[in-house]
Amino acid sequence: MKKFISLFRALIKNWFRSKSGVFFSFLFPVMLLLIFSTVFGGQESVEYTLHVQNNDLVERYEFSLDQNYTRYLENGTVHEEMREAFEEKDHTISPDASMSKTGDKSWEINDNDRWYGLEENETKIDVYTLGDQVTCLSENFTKGLRKTETLDIVTLDRDVNVTEYFEDDTSFGESRRALIISRGFQEKALDKSMELRMKVIQDTMDRIGDQYDMNESEEENFTERQEMVDRWANRTKTGESAEVLLLTSEGDQVAPIIEGTVYGVVNNFNQRMMGVEDSTVEVESESIGRKDLEGADYYLPGLIAAFIMTNGIIGVTGTISEYKRNGTLKRLISTPLTKANWIFANVAQQTVLAFLLTGVMVLLGVVVFGVQVYPNLYALGFIFVGAVAFCSVGIVLGGLIKDVEAANGAGNAIAFPMMFLSGAFWPLERMPSYMQSVAKVLPLYYFHRGLTEIMILQDPSGAVVPFLIISVFGVIFMILATKVTRWKDM
Amino acid sequence: MAEHVIEVEDLTKNYGDVTAIDGVSFSVNEGEIFSLVGPNGAGKTTTVEILECLREPTSGKAKVLGHDIRKEEMKIKEQIGVMPQDFNTFDRLTAKENIKLAADIYDKSGAEEIIKKVGVKEFENKRFEDLSGGMKTRVGIGMALVSDAPLLFLDEPTTGLDPQARRETWSLIKGLKRMNKTVFLTTHYMEEVEELSDRAAVIIDGDIKITDSISNLIERYGGGVKITASKEKGAEELIKKNSDEVTEEDKDELTGIFEDREKARKTLISLFKKDCNVSVEEAGMDEVFLELAGGKLTEEGELA
Repeated sequence: MKKFISLFRALIKNWFRSKSGVFFSFLFPVMLLLIFSTVFGGQESVEYTLHVQNNDLVERYEFSLDQNYTRYLENGTVHEEMREAFEEKDHTISPDASMSKTGDKSWEINDNDRWYGLEENETKIDVYTLGDQVTCLSENFTKGLRKTETLDIVTLDRDVNVTEYFEDDTSFGESRRALIISRGFQEKALDKSMELRMKVIQDTMDRIGDQYDMNESEEENFTERQEMVDRWANRTKTGESAEVLLLTSEGDQVAPIIEGTVYGVVNNFNQRMMGVEDSTVEVESESIGRKDLEGADYYLPGLIAAFIMTNGIIGVTGTISEYKRNGTLKRLISTPLTKANWIFANVAQQTVLAFLLTGVMVLLGVVVFGVQVYPNLYALGFIFVGAVAFCSVGIVLGGLIKDVEAANGAGNAIAFPMMFLSGAFWPLERMPSYMQSVAKVLPLYYFHRGLTEIMILQDPSGAVVPFLIISVFGVIFMILATKVTRWKDM
Repeated sequence: MAEHVIEVEDLTKNYGDVTAIDGVSFSVNEGEIFSLVGPNGAGKTTTVEILECLREPTSGKAKVLGHDIRKEEMKIKEQIGVMPQDFNTFDRLTAKENIKLAADIYDKSGAEEIIKKVGVKEFENKRFEDLSGGMKTRVGIGMALVSDAPLLFLDEPTTGLDPQARRETWSLIKGLKRMNKTVFLTTHYMEEVEELSDRAAVIIDGDIKITDSISNLIERYGGGVKITASKEKGAEELIKKNSDEVTEEDKDELTGIFEDREKARKTLISLFKKDCNVSVEEAGMDEVFLELAGGKLTEEGELA
């Protein structure tokens, strides 16, 4: 026992005096916990920047033209006579300007950045320009976007060319997202809404006619009203829906989130335009049974498990192969120390490190992030089993591989993929399904799942299977460790 | 305790097709410093590591302190002190901590005393990684000595040390003899063998060529005593008459080679009485090795 204790003490001291060892085993996981929990798991919801350019401005009356000018209303370039008439009213139209028909009696002139709307009356042609105010509906739509907790709305000036704006300024990074509300948004939305409302009324009346029995007088009355509705429906304008243009950059990881949020606002807006105030289906969100895992709740057991694993597989492998290379192990083998002394001293060292690491991480999680951790004997037992299991893997690798660099390489090659694939750093649900299948054959997956069940969810029964899996894994590798550790002819 | 603390009989070790030692036999007496001498790759470390129970022999027998190396490994390890080749230990522990660790492993309590004896006191609190080569060797000897074992194995303890550190280590090893320890030393430094050893075995290509006391080895294989004198006062006649071979590399001097040391001694006395200008070059282990191996050993231990 004295031999074992002395060797254990020596291993611990030698390890603690290694700056790089302490950094990678304690400070590095602490840093990761701070970074992951702060960046990915803060209490505040994440907002994504969306630039909005609202081009739907209220039209402003400018002047009227004599009815004689009606003959110059035609698609194509603006007639010279018409341009001269505008000139007289102090509005210069360039020869490149174009005119197009937009409705029965409405036309528009587009002259570079300027726009004129022309409305035929019985006696004159009224000319409108765009004012400074945005339309009520487009403003409400923007407010709807702003109300979502997901989007941080930044207003873009109307004279900005969005594409050039983003290309010129690289500081936007991935937040090069813009939603452009086109001119005519309100008008089109109102027209479309009226068209749809009329269709709904027609449809409703058709259904009433089909479903209800009416006497002769009622039927006559109903048919008369139905015909009246049809007449009004025929008089209702039909046209395109109002459109908004959503621009996202290629490779933008959160583009689907932005699109989803915008669609949500658009749907809500459509319903309101149809006069729907109440929802037929309400989604109520509440957690059932188990505690929801917020950032640090998730990362704490994940990082503890991951670094107990790396300390075992990378740390122990590297240390043992280095002791073999520099002759320290030979020095120990030449003494009355036994192979069991050596293996158990390493396991004990890793167990102590695992407990210390857990203590430091839990303290940090509780103090800095307010994580509710439930320290208990189950947790200590599971950490012990995990430390033994992963340390045994390290002893096996260190025993099998003679070359230090190769041993370190092998440790890294096993530990790093396991660390990233097991879901210790991010929820498995975010990974493709085939990767999730891979994760479920990795021991680290069961280790961090078990720790989460015990330490955070306070559900030791949920850790039974992970505990059994890690225990079996540990026993297998402990047996292998005793087999491959050479105490002679090394 | 057996009269022979080590008895080796027809010991062989193969690494695959390579035979590292080929049927070696020798014995080491209690209380002596025994050197196993040979070039790199001759089989010195393999031999010593088999005796330290670090390697399994392919065939042959060996007993250490009366215990069979195959059957009583732990008994042997408890009674020997070892300083392996290229000795290393926990590099971030201090010199004192490392020696105390060794004491704990052997369940002994004399660490403080050993620290003083091997001259580690002045740097006992320095980390092993910060020590010079000579200091590390002292720690290594201290760790071997703290076992309080009667038999110490020192595998090339002075390799890579500067001349001063080497001499300090020699002094330490001589001290071990005074402490009635038996020391099994491997080395490729002939000067070290002559300086420290009572007996030596010369091993070449896994085969022990000869085992004997240093004086006998020199006498038998050293190639005689060379006496060089000026050709005056009858010295020329005296040397030509008594020596076995005469060479004249200079017109004013001649050198006589004497196979018989007694004859050389008498001739030398006569030359001194005639007040001749004389120099003597005595054969040493270098010459022994040259005779047995057909070459000399370089500083690095290669046969040249």
